[in-house]
Amino acid sequence: MESKDFLARLIDIPGVSGYEMEVAHEVSNVFKEYCDDVRIDDFYNVYGRKTGGDLEDRPKIMLAAHIDEIGLMVKDIDEKGFIKFTTIGGVDQRILLSQEVIVYGKEPLFGVIGAKPPHLQQPGERGQSVKIEDMTIDLGLSAEEVKELVKVGDIITFKSPLVSMKNGFVNGKSIDDRAGVAVMLEAMKELNRLHFNADVYFVATVQEEVGVRGGTISTYSVNPDIGIAIDVTHGDTPDSSKEDTHAMNKGPSIAIGPNLHPKLTKRLMDIAKEYGLEYQIEVAPGPTGTDARVMQIVREGIPTVLVEIPLRYMHTTVETLNMDNVKKAGRIIALFIASMEEGWQKWLSY
Amino acid sequence: MRELLAKLTGTYGPSGNEEEISKVIEDEIRDYVDEIKTDVMGNLIAFKKGNGQGKRVMLSAHMDQIGLMVTHIDDNGFLRFSNVGGISVLNTINSKVIFKNGTIGNVSYESEIDNIKDIKLNRMYIDIGAKSSEEASNKVSIGDVAVYYSPLSDSNGRYIGGAMDDRAGCALLIQTIKELEDCKNDVYFVFSVQEEVGLRGAKTSAYSINPDVGIAVDVTSTGDTPKARTMAVKLGAGPAIKVKDGSVICHPKVKGLMIDRAEELGIPYQLEVLEWGGTDAGAIHLTREGVPSGAVSVPCRYIHSANEMVDGADLENGVKLLVAILEQEIEL
Repeated sequence: MESKDFLARLIDIPGVSGYEMEVAHEVSNVFKEYCDDVRIDDFYNVYGRKTGGDLEDRPKIMLAAHIDEIGLMVKDIDEKGFIKFTTIGGVDQRILLSQEVIVYGKEPLFGVIGAKPPHLQQPGERGQSVKIEDMTIDLGLSAEEVKELVKVGDIITFKSPLVSMKNGFVNGKSIDDRAGVAVMLEAMKELNRLHFNADVYFVATVQEEVGVRGGTISTYSVNPDIGIAIDVTHGDTPDSSKEDTHAMNKGPSIAIGPNLHPKLTKRLMDIAKEYGLEYQIEVAPGPTGTDARVMQIVREGIPTVLVEIPLRYMHTTVETLNMDNVKKAGRIIALFIASMEEGWQKWLSY
Repeated sequence: MRELLAKLTGTYGPSGNEEEISKVIEDEIRDYVDEIKTDVMGNLIAFKKGNGQGKRVMLSAHMDQIGLMVTHIDDNGFLRFSNVGGISVLNTINSKVIFKNGTIGNVSYESEIDNIKDIKLNRMYIDIGAKSSEEASNKVSIGDVAVYYSPLSDSNGRYIGGAMDDRAGCALLIQTIKELEDCKNDVYFVFSVQEEVGLRGAKTSAYSINPDVGIAVDVTSTGDTPKARTMAVKLGAGPAIKVKDGSVICHPKVKGLMIDRAEELGIPYQLEVLEWGGTDAGAIHLTREGVPSGAVSVPCRYIHSANEMVDGADLENGVKLLVAILEQEIEL
């Protein structure tokens, strides 16, 4: 399956943190085509296993990319049937006005986050951003109908399917981090063409956006020798500084810093260089905001590396990314896995 | 339930100093459980055996409470303090506090401060009525912890007092232990320590018990007071089944099971979306390979003040709900 088609499919499926069951099943169905076996745990983490080679003490390598997305949740319903909501994960309240949303009540319900028309605004209001407490979702239904169909705690997603742009660029919601899942798919396809000695676990993790929770329990469960987290990082935009962002057309970024294993990270870079694959460097001075944060400190500690895809407008409904970087990242990771040979343990030492 | 609550809320037990409250709870439940032990952290863990066909269920209500830890005794016998857990300035100004040895004091602030917003905990002090440093040192040492002194009062079927967070939850667990008879599940009742300083007792006890399902029992906020932040939880409208808080998104199946039981038995309940805070379920659900977890909450006004308010009917219905959840087979 083409990774762009895969991404488009995933983005249409709701998977707000804590409610990833549907997207997990879709991921599982696709992983089954490329993995030896696939399982889904109680929290809807998806584990696809691919074993290669006959080396007896081959490494167990875990890849992790999260399938959850930021979203909203019903907090209350007012007497007229307008829905008050809270955020799940890091939602920027400035982007909420006039968004189209889907409320997952007894059935999916289309709604809008209404904005006060300019005509009705008081002097000075136009220059201020509206607080989330003052926003409501309008389903166009009566209060009785809303109360029949919707209850407190129902999840809400943004309606924003994948849109193809020129030069391999795409945009839509929840590309953070379903593009990472697409990277895993690319790595699987690449591994099918390579000889490798490893038990590789492709884990689509849950609840990253609310505190890297799925990564914590799934890493404990797999207990790998090596961890590879895959997430997105900030792409370059006119309004942000060059130091904080990454070019959209120069390959994926490989992170360096205390959260990541130095020797393995260097090896990852060496492999990319060896095969002429472009990459950028992400400087991560502290624990990263990715699954790598927890993978590194599960059980006895897991040597972990982090590969990131530059993404513009993170945590909005128009997250924008270059699919070419997805393919390159999948390739670098697969080649890194295939480079594991007898004595691979030496790469883990300091 | 009132007497039990009065006893529990009147017992001293800030985080890290849970010996006394643990003893009181142990005396209450010893005759009703199959095994009981205290672990190295101080968690009190009671076990009620099932018929061998059910799940391992861990319930957890924390027995610690927030407090004020003495950091310095000045020349005139006034005590400076730091917070143990979420002590807020506003809720503490001129609150009465009590130490383990019964010493009582009032908490006030440096009177040169004009603007209440400028008051920080480090500009506040505890006045135990001592006339000198020496007199104060005879009663209190650095590192001692005071808690709000606020004996239980009744008002319109509601109870007002300190430490409802989470002695109200402890009362629910104790009453559930007493009322739960035939049980299919192996149930571990944990009275956890150090919740207020980071869910620490629940973390280690959940690792040790390794349950199939986790249920925290704690208090939650309400949205029914004047100009409160929007929250669809009211005092007296039934125990709250947690959907999420800052520490956990409850497992949809555990949440669903609680709703099903409540509806089958006609127990009033509310759904709780708490936008901040945390509870033991936050630690339990991330234990080992993950433990599907949920929480039953007692609606409570004025949390983390000396005068927390809960509703008597919510407590009764909370017990009914917990018994209903535990006595049947749990299918996830």
